[in-house]
Amino acid sequence: MVNRETMAQYLAIFVLLALGIVFGAASLVASALLAPRKQPSAAKLAPYECGIIPSREPPQRFPVRFYLIAMIFIIFDIEIVFLYPFAVILHQLRTFGLVEVLVFAAVVLVAFLYLVSNGALSWGPPKRLVEGMGSRTSETTIERVGAGASSSDRAA
Amino acid sequence: MSIPGSWYLILAAVLFTIGALGLLVRRNVLVMFMCIELMLNAANLTFVTFARMLHDIGGQAVVFFVLVVAAAEVVVGLGIVVAIFRRRTSATADDLHILKG
Amino acid sequence: MSFLGFLDGLGGPHVRDGVIHLVVVLASVHALAAVTAIHVPHIRYLAILPEIVMLGGAVLLLGVASLSDRPVRMSVTTVGTVVISGASMGLAWWQWADVRQHGPFTTVAGAVVTDGFSALIAILASTAMLLTALVGDGYLRREGVEGPEFHVLAMVSASGAMIMGQANDLIVIFLGLEIMSIALYVLAALNPRRATSGEAALKYFVLGSFSSAIFVYGIALTYGATGGTNLAHLTSYLSTHALSSNGVLLAGMGLLLVGFGFKVAAVPFHMWTPDVYQGAPSPVTGFMAAIAKAGGFAALLRVFVSSFGTLRPDWRPIVYVIAIVTLVVGAGLAVVQRDVKRMLAYSSINHAGFVLLGLQAADARGVSAALYYVFTYSFMVIGSFAVVTLLGRSGDVGHDIAGYRALARRQPVLALAFAVLLLAQAGVPFTTGFLAKLQVVAAVVDAHSAPLGFVAMGSAAIAAFFYLRVAVLMYTPRRPRWVPPGREIVFDPIVGPQASTAAREGSGVSGQAEPEIAPGGSLDGGTAEGAVATVPRTLAELRLWSGSERTVAVVERLNADLLIDREAEAVEDGAGGRRVRVPPAAIVAIGICIAVTVVFGIVPGPLVDFTHHSTLLLLR
Repeated sequence: MVNRETMAQYLAIFVLLALGIVFGAASLVASALLAPRKQPSAAKLAPYECGIIPSREPPQRFPVRFYLIAMIFIIFDIEIVFLYPFAVILHQLRTFGLVEVLVFAAVVLVAFLYLVSNGALSWGPPKRLVEGMGSRTSETTIERVGAGASSSDRAA
Repeated sequence: MSIPGSWYLILAAVLFTIGALGLLVRRNVLVMFMCIELMLNAANLTFVTFARMLHDIGGQAVVFFVLVVAAAEVVVGLGIVVAIFRRRTSATADDLHILKG
Repeated sequence: MSFLGFLDGLGGPHVRDGVIHLVVVLASVHALAAVTAIHVPHIRYLAILPEIVMLGGAVLLLGVASLSDRPVRMSVTTVGTVVISGASMGLAWWQWADVRQHGPFTTVAGAVVTDGFSALIAILASTAMLLTALVGDGYLRREGVEGPEFHVLAMVSASGAMIMGQANDLIVIFLGLEIMSIALYVLAALNPRRATSGEAALKYFVLGSFSSAIFVYGIALTYGATGGTNLAHLTSYLSTHALSSNGVLLAGMGLLLVGFGFKVAAVPFHMWTPDVYQGAPSPVTGFMAAIAKAGGFAALLRVFVSSFGTLRPDWRPIVYVIAIVTLVVGAGLAVVQRDVKRMLAYSSINHAGFVLLGLQAADARGVSAALYYVFTYSFMVIGSFAVVTLLGRSGDVGHDIAGYRALARRQPVLALAFAVLLLAQAGVPFTTGFLAKLQVVAAVVDAHSAPLGFVAMGSAAIAAFFYLRVAVLMYTPRRPRWVPPGREIVFDPIVGPQASTAAREGSGVSGQAEPEIAPGGSLDGGTAEGAVATVPRTLAELRLWSGSERTVAVVERLNADLLIDREAEAVEDGAGGRRVRVPPAAIVAIGICIAVTVVFGIVPGPLVDFTHHSTLLLLR
């Protein structure tokens, strides 16, 4: 029989689980209470307003920025894991540990600088288009639309 | 009385097998990523269990590295997926069919 | 001028305050350390200097590129990369000389080893980096993806391969493997203009991380069975404990072999290779082939021959079977390929089979032969893909083998270079390829696995066929042109009537196209009135004219062979009658590759001695 002491180790996990469920439920309830009720009409949801009924669904808007920020967050977040064991024995490691961590931080900082300089973290309307796409003119847009259509035909 | 170490090892082996099978069977790229994570974490569980059984801290230190590598890997993978599926609606491996022969 | 004064000049009082603060923190940490200092492993920084230079150079380059307000010019990036990899190569040479004089040693608590073997891999990786920087320069300009990313990622990847060569601990091997692989995944996706690039990257990523997960689980099981991950620990533990029937250890070893098998593209773990080699940008493919094989085989040889040495009876039969399948599948499937990059991918699988021969021999001679093979193959494959890079027109397309017909007339030097490199890969005498094949086969025959040697020679004969086919094709005059230019669309008897009917019904659309007799109409009596229909000339006109995607698709498929001919002509004419421009940096790179391949093929002594001594200096 598993004794009480062993089970007590899992108490924290159960508490965390309960907290997670409560938080999830609270978020759902809050959004249900606070979200705007009024559904847009069918006409408002239509992509064009000049009477043309689209023959097929337009591709979904794909907000890359959110994904980008999330991925950048993951990578910087997980780097911190190395700092915890370092922090525990900071004093026992003497100067060696500090120097190593500073080098580590410098490397991470350069990665961060790269992201900033590429505009990966600048929020709001993009000031610069994605590299390789060039400046956008009506011609390139038509080209891209054409490319998209032919590739979807091939897939179908 | 505590749970014997071999149970954890068996659990890890089962998790690893589920991950490997899932990777081979599932077609959704994101589910495939999850399967890779499952496999890596099964390895982590094995490391921790052995570290405990052998009374050696080394196995636990390894887990840090594997965790960070797994995160780096999945971020790169997600980056590639975002780059590919920007103009597509689904993320299935069957859509990747240009290269064959 | 004092240090603090210098800082004031540099960045004003803020920098000065910051530095003072840092010094204070350092001092306080030092003072508090009196408590209970834990043992910090002794690090000989000279031992890991090639890696530090390579990785630090990459970080420096990235930092400079990020902080400068204007985009850094491509030439600056390339020169920087060449200097950094040159410095790394010099340090690796210095290490080799040092090890030869004073013997190999371990450092960082035995996790890293410096011996002839590791120095050879470091030299190889830094040379591959240098050559790839030169090849990539022209490619990146042509493709318009200028930026530091290619060089930075490649340097990170090269440092990963160096770490794999120096690793004396399974975990360090794993870290090196991942540093190398993750950078390669991104490199494969580097060209945003090619749809295949992303697809290749994703395939490489999924199968690569699958193999990494298997590898980690293998390490975990080995750790559980032996109580450590250090290779020296493994060696001593296995020599004192008779563990050959330990299931956990054998499972761990098997999983490690699978993980390595994926990285070096051994059958049956080769599925990713053709797709990735074809889809990845061409300079990346050459780099990948050289680096991944070098790093993978370095770690594979070190782990299996030296650490799992006592388990030889268990793993040699497995390697035997894998080597045979790899040799046969690699050579067999390369024959039927129509894309040069894909053919080279299967040929690289075939080469991996040859290197596995050295592993199967499992003695000093085998290791030496395998090292020689990996070293010389790197130059051949980087050179070959450099030529392929140059011939791929803008967009990195047109790698069809048919397009190489009569290349010699248009680009005699490039064709000669490619022919030499292909012949070297085939193992023609007076090239390093011949000696490489000879050595591994000799080693495996001496190790009482003669049948394996025969299979290898058989596969070499098959391989010679497809290398020679391309080489001969380049010197074959092109076929007479039987399709008038711009008239690629021909009508099938089946499609013809449909198209004609469509033309009758919607003749308003086809007003621009000039009237002409449909070729299909004359074959089919039922389309007498369709015979005077206007015929579109191109697929775009056909699409507009017929309004049916299906018709276009059918015509496209029917003309598959015809399109290949058109492709061939397009390549031959250099996409509008131009010869491809050959940047000087690429000439240097290809020149170095050919020089190494041919000079050491004619004068084999130095390179054979080099690999032989590197093996002798292997720390066991």
